[in-house]
Amino acid sequence: MAENKDFYLRYYVGHKGKFGHEFLEFEFRPDGKLRYANNSNYKNDTMIRKECCVNKKVMDELRRIIQDSEIIREDDSLWPQPDRIGRQELEIVMDDEHVSFTTSKIGSLADINNSKDPEGLRCFYYLVQDLKCLVFSLIGLNFKIKPI
Amino acid sequence: MADVLDIDGGGEDFSVDEEGDLSDEHGERFHQDISSMEKRYQDSVQRLKERAKKRKGRGFDSDKAKDISQKYEPMAIDDNEVAIPQRSVEGWILFVTGVHEEAHEEDVRDKFEDFGQIKNLHVNLDRRTGFLKGYALVEYEQREEAQAAIDVLNGSDLLGQIIGVDWCFVKEPLK
Repeated sequence: MAENKDFYLRYYVGHKGKFGHEFLEFEFRPDGKLRYANNSNYKNDTMIRKECCVNKKVMDELRRIIQDSEIIREDDSLWPQPDRIGRQELEIVMDDEHVSFTTSKIGSLADINNSKDPEGLRCFYYLVQDLKCLVFSLIGLNFKIKPI
Repeated sequence: MADVLDIDGGGEDFSVDEEGDLSDEHGERFHQDISSMEKRYQDSVQRLKERAKKRKGRGFDSDKAKDISQKYEPMAIDDNEVAIPQRSVEGWILFVTGVHEEAHEEDVRDKFEDFGQIKNLHVNLDRRTGFLKGYALVEYEQREEAQAAIDVLNGSDLLGQIIGVDWCFVKEPLK
């Protein structure tokens, strides 16, 4: 992986409520290790934790998705603060840049349009959807579980 | 230990599960549980983060232990296999890149089903545009089918774009 420069990605979304600390989190490490955790105490459900190693092509595609999104140019300073409804975190290291964004859950596109930084939040919102889509396919097919 | 989620400053009464996710004792146990390999991993990720020259975002405000770093259930590794690819629960999965954004699932299926019955096919969409995101996952039951698809289709043309085809999962972390 000589040509692969530094890369790391972690996403978290969760809240605390009557079913405990419910969250979804995944992480890609530079060596291709993908970790996935999904916890809910709803109906006594237990924590799902999975990990696997993805091939270089997957990491390259992930990098491409992030680069195309231009999320690194954004800044979370005007995004809604995490609140009682929930919290999202997106941390990315790519080459010599490191972003660690934090915001509330985003319910709908209307929330984005009414925010102080609709363009940045929209970028975040769609990137997160694309990342979840990729991770759910990887984890879902590899382990034959249905995430969420 | 600081939990990942610290919204309300501790006003609520949570039921703590067996793993004690929310308790302080858990923090200590968790650190004892880290194998030396996990420790090395965390150190390497930490170094990687420190190497970055530009930092942005509110996430740097607090240093939190992450739930993601606890115990995970790995794939059961089949020791009879010496090669790199990792079998998934029900078959062998390929990762396809360079798929044209205006291609259809059927275009991908047509190409790949020449090598065996496709057990699963994910051709994901770009959530913003509604076009294809550019990658696909294809699952075959047999390793030989998947290998044949790689051999023939990697570097081939699909709607004027060169596609890349390779194993999706590997046994060992990339070097």
